[in-house]
Amino acid sequence: MPNQNPPTRYSAVAQGFHWLIAALIVVQFTLGWTAQFLPIGARKLARLDWHKSFGMTILTLAALRLLWRLFNRPPELPPGMTKFERQAARATHVLFYVFLFVMPLTGWMMSSAKNYSVSWFHQFTWPNLIGPNEQAFNLLKSTHDTLSWLLFAVAILHILAALKHHFWNKDDVLKRMLPFTKSEKRS
Amino acid sequence: MRNLYLAGITAILLSVAAAAAAGAASYTADTEQSRLEFVGVQAGAEFKGVFHKFTANVDFAPDALAGSRIDVQIDMNSVDSKDKDRDTTIRSKDIFDVAHNPTAHYVTKTIAKTATGFSAVGSLTLHGVTKDVPIDFQFVPAAAGAKLTGSAKLNRLDFGVGQGDWKSTENVGDAVKINFSLVLKPKT
Repeated sequence: MPNQNPPTRYSAVAQGFHWLIAALIVVQFTLGWTAQFLPIGARKLARLDWHKSFGMTILTLAALRLLWRLFNRPPELPPGMTKFERQAARATHVLFYVFLFVMPLTGWMMSSAKNYSVSWFHQFTWPNLIGPNEQAFNLLKSTHDTLSWLLFAVAILHILAALKHHFWNKDDVLKRMLPFTKSEKRS
Repeated sequence: MRNLYLAGITAILLSVAAAAAAGAASYTADTEQSRLEFVGVQAGAEFKGVFHKFTANVDFAPDALAGSRIDVQIDMNSVDSKDKDRDTTIRSKDIFDVAHNPTAHYVTKTIAKTATGFSAVGSLTLHGVTKDVPIDFQFVPAAAGAKLTGSAKLNRLDFGVGQGDWKSTENVGDAVKINFSLVLKPKT
């Protein structure tokens, strides 16, 4: 049964999804960004191999997270936020969900277009989404690259907003997503 | 000198007669309709490639296996794995080294009947290394020729395919599957 009253903190599950996926995105940036400077060869192949396995992990977690989110209400935004701030927060969160799907999916399609099927940590192989196609690969690659920078920008905005709430507004927006902390009761 | 010629001609005639007596018919593969495919494992996932250019000469009769033979020459430059970057890498010095080893050659030594078709052992020369590789195949006579389909397995490192960083089987598996489907036309 969904709670009638919205919770005041993010649940352990929500926190788990948030921090696990956040950590994986940092890993993905590092692997993806450094791989593009490597010459074509075994090292690049190995690095992108990890990138793809982690990417498919994020896609799976994103699907579970969205499903979970549909049945669980997040805590409400603190009072006193302007309409613009509320809309910006909402848009950022929606964008993150879009990125969590679009980034892995464009990556997966890129691999398919280049005829490099995606393995999950060498345990099994995901099916190809499209056939080999050089033009499609180039288009998907530029999309994947561009979106990664947009994701980076949105992530910076998200982090700055969380810090602003914590240090400037002195509300519990950051704390309620942090494990091992307690949010003060709002009056 | 004349005797040598005569002996030579006699020998040729005898071998032709032997082949005819054994009943092995001679074919060549129609490469347009034939397919020579390899399946490797890269970064934990299978990938397929083909060789577009190869020639196959086949002498075969199911009831004359001793006189039967499959001989295939492969143009290693014609490798196509549906990705130019990978094809360039495969042709390079550390993998096929096509500059020094432009062709691979397979020729059977013995052919035997099995429960489901035929098996053969032949010598494969790949990347300048010659080793025995067994194959399994089916031979189906058709109106104008025959169809020869089959498969083989080999380990690329047995042939030194993969040097330097590519020696590791972590990124590229050692085992490679070969699938072939030859559309045979009678030799004229």
